[in-house]
Amino acid sequence: MNSLIPLFIILPLATAISIILFGRLVKAFQKALPSAVLLFLTGLSFYFILSWDSGIYKYVIGGRGPVGNIPISIYFVLDGLSILMLCIINLIGFLSGFYAISYIKKYTGENKFYALFCLMITGMNGVVLSGDIFNLYVFLEIAAISSYALVAFEVEKEKLEASYKYQVLGCLSSFFILLNIGLLYWYTKSLNIADISRIIESSANKNLIIFIQILFIAGFGLKAALIPFHAWLPDAHSSAPSPISSMLSGVLIKAIGIYAIIRLFFNMFDITYEIALLITVIGTLSMVIGVLLAIGQWDMKRLLAYHSISQMGYVIIGVGIGMLILAKGGNRSWAALSIAGGLFHLTNHAVFKGLLFLNAGAVEYTTGTRNLKELGGLSGSMPVTSSTSLSASMAISGIPPFNGFFSKLIIIIAAAKAQYYLLTFLAISVSIITLASFLKLQKKTFYGKSKNRKLKKIKEVPFTMCFSMIVLAVLCIALSLLLIPGIRETIMVNVVYTLINKSNYLLILSDI
Amino acid sequence: MTVYLLCFVLFLVGLFGVLTKRNIIKIAIGLIIMELSLFMFFALIGYVDNGIAPIIVQEMEKAKFVDPLPQAIVLTAIVIGLATTSMLMAIAIRLYKKYNTFDIRKIANLKG
Amino acid sequence: MEIILSIILVFMILGAIYALYARDLLSALISCGIVGYGLVICFLLLQAPDLAIVQIVVETITLLIMIAVVLDSSREELKEKKVVGTKLSHFRKWYVMNVILVIVCLVVLLYFFKEVTSTLDPLGKHLTRMSTAYIENAAEKTGSANLVTGVLFDFRGYDTLGEATILFTAVIGVLAILRAKGKKTNNL
Repeated sequence: MNSLIPLFIILPLATAISIILFGRLVKAFQKALPSAVLLFLTGLSFYFILSWDSGIYKYVIGGRGPVGNIPISIYFVLDGLSILMLCIINLIGFLSGFYAISYIKKYTGENKFYALFCLMITGMNGVVLSGDIFNLYVFLEIAAISSYALVAFEVEKEKLEASYKYQVLGCLSSFFILLNIGLLYWYTKSLNIADISRIIESSANKNLIIFIQILFIAGFGLKAALIPFHAWLPDAHSSAPSPISSMLSGVLIKAIGIYAIIRLFFNMFDITYEIALLITVIGTLSMVIGVLLAIGQWDMKRLLAYHSISQMGYVIIGVGIGMLILAKGGNRSWAALSIAGGLFHLTNHAVFKGLLFLNAGAVEYTTGTRNLKELGGLSGSMPVTSSTSLSASMAISGIPPFNGFFSKLIIIIAAAKAQYYLLTFLAISVSIITLASFLKLQKKTFYGKSKNRKLKKIKEVPFTMCFSMIVLAVLCIALSLLLIPGIRETIMVNVVYTLINKSNYLLILSDI
Repeated sequence: MTVYLLCFVLFLVGLFGVLTKRNIIKIAIGLIIMELSLFMFFALIGYVDNGIAPIIVQEMEKAKFVDPLPQAIVLTAIVIGLATTSMLMAIAIRLYKKYNTFDIRKIANLKG
Repeated sequence: MEIILSIILVFMILGAIYALYARDLLSALISCGIVGYGLVICFLLLQAPDLAIVQIVVETITLLIMIAVVLDSSREELKEKKVVGTKLSHFRKWYVMNVILVIVCLVVLLYFFKEVTSTLDPLGKHLTRMSTAYIENAAEKTGSANLVTGVLFDFRGYDTLGEATILFTAVIGVLAILRAKGKKTNNL
């Protein structure tokens, strides 16, 4: 099973290269191949998650084992969190790629789109699997550079401006991360994450570690669009083509932003009270300010982008409360519950935010506008889109029995148990404001009467777009089944196991 | 240690350029200066006093080599910097053709 | 060694400051070249000939791309308006306050950097950890006399695959951005 791990990198990379080489010869080839490859990878990641035995798998590239107890090669490390992220990345990638088969027909340069899409998936898979900090940086750059090009894919005025802002801030964050890699190498003389954590554990230089941690929060926080680093997100996510918006908002900010923060702060650094407090405060600010900025928006995709910031705040709060409980030495099972709630919300957000962006794309595909003031009354002529959009809106607002309700419930219970009553109150009120905002979205788009004459003769979107939306809507309900005790043991407990027990991660250094 | 501080001062000069300039090309120059200072930083970390370049020529006993790992990191990072700069320049030339100016205060169609 | 490096770094800093404040964009780019080629001399002094070669080539390519962009569009820095009016001086006061705030933040950052790195190894006293395995027995294990090549293509060959993929991605990305038209004109 260890030797199947490199397939996650090799297959999308080979697909991207072969689309560029052979795409002109066979037209249908470039459309079918990315979807087929991503479907295979989704199946492979589900196979991994179902046959898991709460261990940690590693694959040494090049086969050179450690010399004198110091690792010298690059390792692939696969633990519960990486498996969960792989499932999310490949599943949402497959559905967006399938959706894009009809959506991209309106654009020129289709084979470049599919190649960049596969390269973005390669980059994200590489970040999630990497056990070496410089390797994480290289694959993060692959994902980021391909997303810069994809945001500007329709070369109009606003798209180029959005891509430029995204690029400058993205480059800035990459330089902070590279500066940190330099400082860590200067101090510990090693680049392997497990090796660095061994050396930092027994160190006495507290000031340097705090400086590095703050710069990491700045660098990865810019990639994850936390407040106050969120300035690029509304422009970039509303200007991209819709399958790319759902990939960016549903997967990219999680795989290169939040995953990296969780991996480094739980498995590489020791958890201290001040840093945990800083992370929780940033999460709370993101949650509150994101939803307040979203209230006054009239552009459909900008509204969804601001809500992404707010929901990412929920995830960071879940993780931050877990860190605070661990730092104060409290009850470890409450910490595990809180982190599991945060990660469950991350999964749910990928599903329902992906679905919402695909719906916005379907509306734009048929009517040509995204402005809520001009839309209305579409539920009669677009039944699939309006019903899936209704289920996604109920999921994001936290209405039972959809999945958003359960994940927000776990985070609120964990906050109350740890006696952070202000956070509980803020989480509940932000959820109510989210509900209000999405009721406005639903009413203005699908129900009510429209004054616009052009909307009389629209029909439903093509089959591939409907298929992706229906699958995601079914997942919105099916994911709430993850809380049933039998399934919970196999998936959720394994995901947080390596995060809570740091010594489990160091096991990769001891095996041959 | 003054060498490291001067290297960081060069990084901060680049950061100042990115944060305060209004011209797209000047922002790109600021990013290039930040990147070059980071390459200098890595090369300084790997230096060993009286070391020689890490190339094995014929008969030599245990000679002290300079650390080869930061040099490998810098080689990869130089190529990444080239890729980023070229994408930034492609966007800059398209922006000029569409808006006919390089001023970021005038290229502000997206608001809110 | 430290003194020579410090002098070259001071020249690079002066070149960088001029590059940000030049009136003519082409002069700014040539000053940016001072920083780049000064770095080549520093690499040679720090016993890294591979880096010097790569940096010369990449710096030349970067300067060529930027000069092509600048010559194709506009050569001048933006002009400050000389009109005096209440609205403009309010804007200018806000801009000056912004610059002072940025400078204060950067000085604070420099102070923290100095504090934090004062306890680390000074220049030249570097003890290797992962690299001891790379230096000893590298010629037998990898078959190359150049240790940096051995690290890049054998021990850390995966990073080189990632770097080649980045170049590929950048080429396709630039081709995608430089297309003439984004959406097909609507005749369906």
